Amino acid sequence: MHLDSGQEKMLRGEAGEAKQLAMEILTNVGDAMAADSLVPIKSGHVLAHYSSLHEAGIEMLERFAKAGGRFAVPTTVDPASIDLDNWKSFGIPQEYAEKQFRLCRAYGKLGGIPCWTCVQYQVCNFPKTGETVAWAESSSVVFANSLIGCRTNKITSGLDLACALTGLTPRFGMLLDENRKARVSFKADAGTLSDLDYRSIGFFLGKTSGAKVPVLSGLPEGITSDELKHLGAAAAAAGPTTMIHLPGITPGTATVKDASGGEPIETMAIERSDLDSVEAELNQTSERPDLVAFGVPHLSTAELGLLAKKLDGKKLIQGVKMYVYTSTQAFDMANRSGIRKEIESSGARLTHSTDAEISPLKRLGFNVVMTNSAKLAEIVASEGEVKMRYAPTDKILAEVTR
Amino acid sequence: MSQTFKGRTLIAGNASGEALVSRRAFTFAHGVDPSSGQVTDVHSDVRGENVKGKVLFYPFGKGSTTASAWFLETARQGNVPAAMVTETTDLSAVIGSTLAKIVYGRSIPVASSFPQPMYNSLKNGKRVSLSSEGELVISD
Repeated sequence: MHLDSGQEKMLRGEAGEAKQLAMEILTNVGDAMAADSLVPIKSGHVLAHYSSLHEAGIEMLERFAKAGGRFAVPTTVDPASIDLDNWKSFGIPQEYAEKQFRLCRAYGKLGGIPCWTCVQYQVCNFPKTGETVAWAESSSVVFANSLIGCRTNKITSGLDLACALTGLTPRFGMLLDENRKARVSFKADAGTLSDLDYRSIGFFLGKTSGAKVPVLSGLPEGITSDELKHLGAAAAAAGPTTMIHLPGITPGTATVKDASGGEPIETMAIERSDLDSVEAELNQTSERPDLVAFGVPHLSTAELGLLAKKLDGKKLIQGVKMYVYTSTQAFDMANRSGIRKEIESSGARLTHSTDAEISPLKRLGFNVVMTNSAKLAEIVASEGEVKMRYAPTDKILAEVTR
Repeated sequence: MSQTFKGRTLIAGNASGEALVSRRAFTFAHGVDPSSGQVTDVHSDVRGENVKGKVLFYPFGKGSTTASAWFLETARQGNVPAAMVTETTDLSAVIGSTLAKIVYGRSIPVASSFPQPMYNSLKNGKRVSLSSEGELVISD
């Protein structure tokens, strides 16, 4: 990989120890992936949650902080493993919280924006079309490539810090035009779609496409960015998908033909039976849940408002908890607008800065979790500690409220 | 009798050990217990085996972008393989090994892209050595 003189200096340590360490990561990755150069990024998004990073991840962030590291570009962070304000009331043990707070402090020293969310593109990190970014968090990578028209690879833990500390990323994969062309085409053909169906379509797409970039047509005209957020998150949870061409939505993609770069491409229909098979796969039990989880990825203020309406006049039945996960910003809006009060009067709890798939569900005593998130169902099921149920919001509410 | 093959060095280093061979996609994220080095992934064909000190072979990586962090934790607890050999480049292995060097001063060689006969010859329990130049020797 070619380095310019400024990058050579960083590698030699002339720009400080932290940049030198970061450059060592970038050059190893660049050489391994046959990148020709390092290119500037507009923003970073990194991981700093204890459940995946462990003790070693704390020591890694502290190592960069001690070496004088400061992020070179605006950088945001994925959710923490605990609600950073209200963790005690969720039964999180003190020693577990302390581990997360060490990560928070180290991330703060690096100059990161304390915006602990997986939907940074909705609240605190706003690149524009055509810009290159370096984001960890697979669902935000799909959103950036497919809806904003950014270029980003799915950035692995450790590389995320290296990119943000230098403001650079190796040029390979989804940064190259050739790799962004659609190689497989799908058309949604399953009639009227529920909230669950969007997720199931995404999951089917991610599972079926493999390493090929898909193009997806046939979605309803009025589909919202929130619905596409969940569709993309499900795709990224089911397979290596980092981009979905959406004709009429993805910048530069007006038609299926645009997506494939003019090359002929066969289109497969996604039918009701395909969605049924996703539901069958993600439902591990029919037992009553002890937790209902909404908000993987984080719900927007608009989605919180819709949920509040559905919960109006309803009460959770005994023995079932309901946690609604959102960003700190949307939590604040829900507080100010009264939406939080409406949601919580049902017995549910609104929680922010954390998310279900990275919180210690088993340790908190949950055995069966019900959700409308294909991403949550897939991740938790693969860990094998907690059984999952996967159903549309209306069906969940019919079962756990009265 | 021994056989020698040439591959592509991703993280340079000399290492040797017993081969542990998976024929399926592999991940350290929720797939290897950092406190023991034991493979826990229910989808793995080497579940129950231990990666510690082995020359770990798998065709390609899979799953979460946190695999490099899980690898680093495994390094912190002293349970990493002696070396990792893949067919196609596993970014998590490259990053995980680089992080282990930066944070714990421990470099684990990584290599890929060997000729197909190497992958066919490699079996659990065979003695394997890997050099900085990407030369891999399999002995009986």
